[in-house]
Amino acid sequence: MKILALAAMAIALCATAARAADPRHPDWPCTQAKVPEISLAAVWSGPPLDDVQSKWKDDAKISALVARLSARKTPMDEAEKAVKEVLAASGPDKTNNAKLLFAGLFDTLNAQRSQVMNGLERVSRKQRDAADKIREEAVQLQALQGATPRDETKVEALSNDLIWKTRIFEDRTKVVRFVCEVPTSIDQRLFALGRVIQQEME
Amino acid sequence: MSRMWRVGLLAGLALAAAAPPAHAFVAYVSNEKSNTVSVIDTDTWTVTKTIKVGQRPRGIDLTRDGRFVMVAVGDDDTIEVIDTKTQTVVDSLPSGPDPELFAQDAAGKILYVANENDNTVTVIDLEKRARLGDIQVGVEPEGMTISPDGKTLINTSETTNMAHFIDTATRQIVANVLVDARPRYAEYKHDSSEVWVSSEIGGTVSIIDPKKHEVIGKVTFEIPGLRKEAIQPVGIGMTRDDKTAFVALGPANRIAVVDVATRKVTKYLLVGQRVWHVAFTPDEKYLLTTNGVSNDVSVIDVAAQKVIKTIQVGELPWGVAIAP
Repeated sequence: MKILALAAMAIALCATAARAADPRHPDWPCTQAKVPEISLAAVWSGPPLDDVQSKWKDDAKISALVARLSARKTPMDEAEKAVKEVLAASGPDKTNNAKLLFAGLFDTLNAQRSQVMNGLERVSRKQRDAADKIREEAVQLQALQGATPRDETKVEALSNDLIWKTRIFEDRTKVVRFVCEVPTSIDQRLFALGRVIQQEME
Repeated sequence: MSRMWRVGLLAGLALAAAAPPAHAFVAYVSNEKSNTVSVIDTDTWTVTKTIKVGQRPRGIDLTRDGRFVMVAVGDDDTIEVIDTKTQTVVDSLPSGPDPELFAQDAAGKILYVANENDNTVTVIDLEKRARLGDIQVGVEPEGMTISPDGKTLINTSETTNMAHFIDTATRQIVANVLVDARPRYAEYKHDSSEVWVSSEIGGTVSIIDPKKHEVIGKVTFEIPGLRKEAIQPVGIGMTRDDKTAFVALGPANRIAVVDVATRKVTKYLLVGQRVWHVAFTPDEKYLLTTNGVSNDVSVIDVAAQKVIKTIQVGELPWGVAIAP
């Protein structure tokens, strides 16, 4: 009986997990609204970046710094310090370097963010399949339990399988909830770095 | 995938132990997600204390005598009272379920609380700290403001898209004014001639004639390169001379500076992410904004119309109130 209750719970769980909050993004599993891309104007009020575009990739020093600052393992205060140091040492190239640096961060962090979001949607689709499977097996188990004579070996095997599948499903749901915070933390990083760069340009 | 899991939690609170000089003001910021109130010294612009409060603190204000900070803790269904001397929670006020925002009359005797969950406004006697009654309003009451003469209370309701004008003497709704989608906040001009109501989804500020109960104008916002949905007006602050209004634009990450006479935006200031509410220092030299996603407070020099400082606070800062 316990197992049936567990299966019922799992089904209820799947139902909520599979329901998309935003009909435009049916696979988006997060309660946070999906913002597919950060728009430049939301994070930058400095001079236009049209003239730098992807030139930051050609500048070895800038592109190395972009890689370092984009890595979430680099603490923010360390990143901010690095921005200040590089721009202070830029002399007459300060404005240009600032623009290159922000263009690089904008491209890199936006790409990083898309990757995370695609991953979340992929997991969300997998979870929906897993939910279907759990539902199916729960129905099968019910039938097995109701059958006379009852095949205890089969009942036990299927129960165990169901317990495992449910546990994996629940764990993944928890992880998804956690990863849902990542796009926001990337937004925060980009904004904070952009703000330092703009302050240094003034 | 494993890299994503290792993402660190948001930065903790920075606690600085600076002694406030004689003429500094003290700002109190409610942090909706970390269930705290950050105390900021406006002279050093540092966080001097973080006060643990109830769950989901949002609306925040001081009693008129400056002795207490009131903070609506929605998930605990109450309003907590913080003693400004000891900077600790000392009491609570009997609101309805899920209080979000409140307004007090000019004398500081009566408090009106918008309860998001039961479509009522609770009336509280501040001296006795007792509940006087309830007023039925629209679905999901949100913004609250009181006319300078104390006779009219305005409450906006999120779902019915209306500003309700309530007679404070009879506690009856005398007029409903339809505004744009999801009205969030209402602010009276100091000369009482206009009420400004921000609409988060509509992306506008409606200007209402409080005598005729009619919308007489609208402030619209446009930021090149930003999608219209990203412009979500919420908090409004107006200078005492009624010349300049500052409107927080949510995920546009900007404060719009509006010329009140022409109702046109003169400037946009990039502040922090998801800028929500604003408050002036009593001398009106500075305007503080709460930035919910970047977890900080921006300081704007009002005369220069420039951002001069950013202060890290708790998670999801919502409201701000400043004591003398």
